Amino acid sequence: MIEGARWRKWVFFYVPMALFLLFLLFPFYWMVITSVRPDGELYRPWNSINYNPFWTWKPTWDHVRYLFEETLFASWLWNTTFIATLSTAISLVCGVFAGYALSRLNFPFAGSLGTAIFITYLVPQTLLFIPLAEIIRNYRLGDTPWSLILTYPTFLIPFCTWLMMGYFKAVPKELEECARIDGASRWQAMLYIVIPVAIPGILSAGIFAFTLSWNEFIYALVFLSSPQQKTVPVGVTSELIRGDVFFWGPLMAGALLGSIPVAIAYSFFVEHYVAGLTGSVKG
Amino acid sequence: MAIAETRIYMPGAPRPRLRLLEDERWLAFVLLVPTLALLGMFIAYPFVRGILLSVTNARVGVPGEFVGLANFYKIFNDGIFRTSVYNTFVYTGVTTVFKLALGLWLAMLLNRNFRGKAFTRAFILLPFIIPTVLSTFAWKWMFDPTFSVLNWLLYHLGLITGRINWLGDPDLAMISIIIVNIWRGVPFFAISLLAGLQTISPELSEAAAIDGAKPLQRFWYITWPLLLPVTMVVVLFSVIQTFADFQIVYVMTGGGPANATHLFATYAYQIGIGTGILSEGAAISLAMFPVLFLVVIIQLLYIRRVEVR
Amino acid sequence: MTTVTRRNVLKGGTALAGGMAGILASGRAPAFAQGTTVHWLRWNDFVPASDQLLRKELIPAAEKALGIKINLETVNGNDLQPRVTASVQSGSGPDLIMVFNNQSALYAESVVDLSDLAEEVSNREGGLYKYSRAVTSDGKKFNSMPWTIVGAMNAYRKSWFEEIGVTKFPETWDAYYDAGKKLKAKGRPLGQAVSHSFGDPPTFVYPLMWSYGGKEVEADGKTVAINSKNTVESVKFMTSFYKDTCDEGGLAWDDTSNNRAFLSQTISSTLNGASIYIESLRNPDKYITEKGAQLKTDILHAPLPKGPQGQFGLHTFFSHMLMSYSPNQKAAKDLLRWVHTPANYEKWFISQKGFATPPTAQWENHELWGADAVMDPFKVAGKLGQAPGYAGPAGKKAAEVLTKYIIVDMYAKAIQGASAEDAVKWAEDELKKIYT
Repeated sequence: MIEGARWRKWVFFYVPMALFLLFLLFPFYWMVITSVRPDGELYRPWNSINYNPFWTWKPTWDHVRYLFEETLFASWLWNTTFIATLSTAISLVCGVFAGYALSRLNFPFAGSLGTAIFITYLVPQTLLFIPLAEIIRNYRLGDTPWSLILTYPTFLIPFCTWLMMGYFKAVPKELEECARIDGASRWQAMLYIVIPVAIPGILSAGIFAFTLSWNEFIYALVFLSSPQQKTVPVGVTSELIRGDVFFWGPLMAGALLGSIPVAIAYSFFVEHYVAGLTGSVKG
Repeated sequence: MAIAETRIYMPGAPRPRLRLLEDERWLAFVLLVPTLALLGMFIAYPFVRGILLSVTNARVGVPGEFVGLANFYKIFNDGIFRTSVYNTFVYTGVTTVFKLALGLWLAMLLNRNFRGKAFTRAFILLPFIIPTVLSTFAWKWMFDPTFSVLNWLLYHLGLITGRINWLGDPDLAMISIIIVNIWRGVPFFAISLLAGLQTISPELSEAAAIDGAKPLQRFWYITWPLLLPVTMVVVLFSVIQTFADFQIVYVMTGGGPANATHLFATYAYQIGIGTGILSEGAAISLAMFPVLFLVVIIQLLYIRRVEVR
Repeated sequence: MTTVTRRNVLKGGTALAGGMAGILASGRAPAFAQGTTVHWLRWNDFVPASDQLLRKELIPAAEKALGIKINLETVNGNDLQPRVTASVQSGSGPDLIMVFNNQSALYAESVVDLSDLAEEVSNREGGLYKYSRAVTSDGKKFNSMPWTIVGAMNAYRKSWFEEIGVTKFPETWDAYYDAGKKLKAKGRPLGQAVSHSFGDPPTFVYPLMWSYGGKEVEADGKTVAINSKNTVESVKFMTSFYKDTCDEGGLAWDDTSNNRAFLSQTISSTLNGASIYIESLRNPDKYITEKGAQLKTDILHAPLPKGPQGQFGLHTFFSHMLMSYSPNQKAAKDLLRWVHTPANYEKWFISQKGFATPPTAQWENHELWGADAVMDPFKVAGKLGQAPGYAGPAGKKAAEVLTKYIIVDMYAKAIQGASAEDAVKWAEDELKKIYT
């Protein structure tokens, strides 16, 4: 540390970091506690005596068991993974290619095409799903994972494209030119020189795309109808909020089990933000 | 000819297909085809359809007739619509400022070396990963008038004596949904900006430090300008998303109490889906289109200027 | 002809197994192409046992009896409307869809008239209640088939009311107000949601308005009549009633909140379906009163009190629409007819334990009602209910008023500090946009 002094590290690093973690992760702690709390402890008003919302002395696995035994949670988890992975892959391929073309190649209407791709993002989803439902019917995609795998990219591609444009622009032209002098075709230069340099950008676009497909709700609700086809957000709300009663324990357990694996997976990728950059050019 | 020369070095003769790709225009075309095909197949029609809906008097199951701008005229005279316009701007403005400031700060913190770095970086993403519907239910419970753990906390810290009626008071309800949106958005800002920070060589900063620049100056003159392009894109997308935000308000307040927290999207949903007047719902959700369009054009121009500089 | 033989066998089998010989004897042999699938979309029932019953027992039996396949899908109640909208607009989707209250009027152009089935059930079961007809039919056409009514009654704490000297649930609003004031002073307020939620808020404010003589529109269904002295009075009453007797969290409550507040014993009375009581029955040891008794022994139900102009109720209504885009209309209708057959409907009705009141009169005599005195008030929910939109028809416009929460918001505005006159004026302006 250039700054040196220990107290400075506390004031400028540890304390703010701790506050951030508290703010961002507190709701998760709350969900963890709720999902292992026995039902009997659940309905305690905030001002009742001897109530400790942060701890339970009688943790239970009932809610998790309920989730796996009484609902189709395992299938939902698999569906969501499958759908999110494929739609992310599609969006990344499209986004990287389009981003490369729009930022590094000269061709007519490049600027307006970029703006046009962006504009599609402005269409609000709250009503878009209605005409989209017609298309899904026409292509006979209803109640299949493909209805989502193909529609999710529509709201993922614009962002991926634009983010990639930003990263590609930062890669110096000389780098590519060097490669081409060494005999690489344009295609190869793109594939082996420019894209590897932009890996952090691709990862961050990928994380963005995967996450949005992971927790999308309205399309999944409207386009899927068989219980075993549903995704985690739709399945969990369909099974665990019944009329005017919430099944809090399984609901929270479902939310957690549906996101912690993703976080763990991300923890491997996130390191590549750094790794992807080692040996690359300076800005 | 550069192309002819390079061919000599190629391992084996390039196929004609690849040679075509040496032309920038053809390569661009090939690279753009998948994107254009997907967007053309799935967005073009609904987009046009949405605009057409807004100038008819269609209801669910009734195609309706052309009525010109009557729907827009109607909604501009609608008090609830005006409230939702105001709310949407406040909501987007406030959350974006906070998300950017906090996200940038967090990105700077995460950019350092410390133990458990990978773990921390991934886990701060949790608010962003968890399905919004479900996390919003958790927040709703944390704000619940009867069970609020936040009230418990504040009470036991001695900060309040009675309870805070988080979602029952119009202003507090707005603050509550803003908090949830910030909570959900900060990780994404942080991680995107972190990726941007990683592309900035530490040597630049170190060189400036040796020249005697203070941390704040180093940030302002070196880090910030280099980070600007990524920041602009992230802000732009966040603004658009926040403008059309739906889930948080729908789950937490349903637009209540007494329409105090309606946003464009929730109001459009209530009219279009709840009441079945599709045309008016479409008009409400398209009413923000010109505004967004303007914001986007200005920001895009700005991004270009920044990049040229 | 293997298929025919198999069907005949199945037919015989089911006729033996259940009391459905009647429908089959009517001569409608299943005549569907093999592989006809009827997609039936319902809400996920508050009573999980009822969904289990449908899935494990009734659906397989219906599949056998009718020779069709049935895809039963259940979603959260709030998510039914987007599904209906997308299905209607794209012309494909579930064949049968459940809707709430008078919502089927909103989709009148996209549904098949079910008059014949409704009249058939009505004739067989002592007549559909006036209320059932009002919310599902426009007088000429049944937009949906009445399924059930979830009665809204006050669930209240017997012992807590006794402690303030009230041994019988107050019969008038003023008496209820006095009792509530005393209860709130003891830290046991009443609870009522006044928010954007389809269940509890309307079922409270509509009857309150009616009981003071207020109404949204005249019988012609055109003349907005809300801005009357009567409505203003009801709003004034609500403002002080809410402030002096209710838990102030109610503006943020949804349909689930009062259940939790009651079960956690923070409120003494609330308007709700029977779900609170049923939950306390289901987990008797989980809910224990401050005196150590099981909570279920301390809950009673009573209808909303009387106002100066009478006593009313609005109850959450459930019905099924048969969609006109459906390619399987006949099969879907047969399924609907099949589940409405008394022998089949009864199984479902019993699994609800009184949470649901059937839409026809004859079921008032069912033995289920004698079994638990606490549930008795729900027996007549259907008889006493009045349809939204009163004094006009409960059609499309009334549904629009209900789904826009205009009446609810009128009261919410006043509670938040607007004057009663302003709140009513606001509602009048909004209603005029709809009715004229």
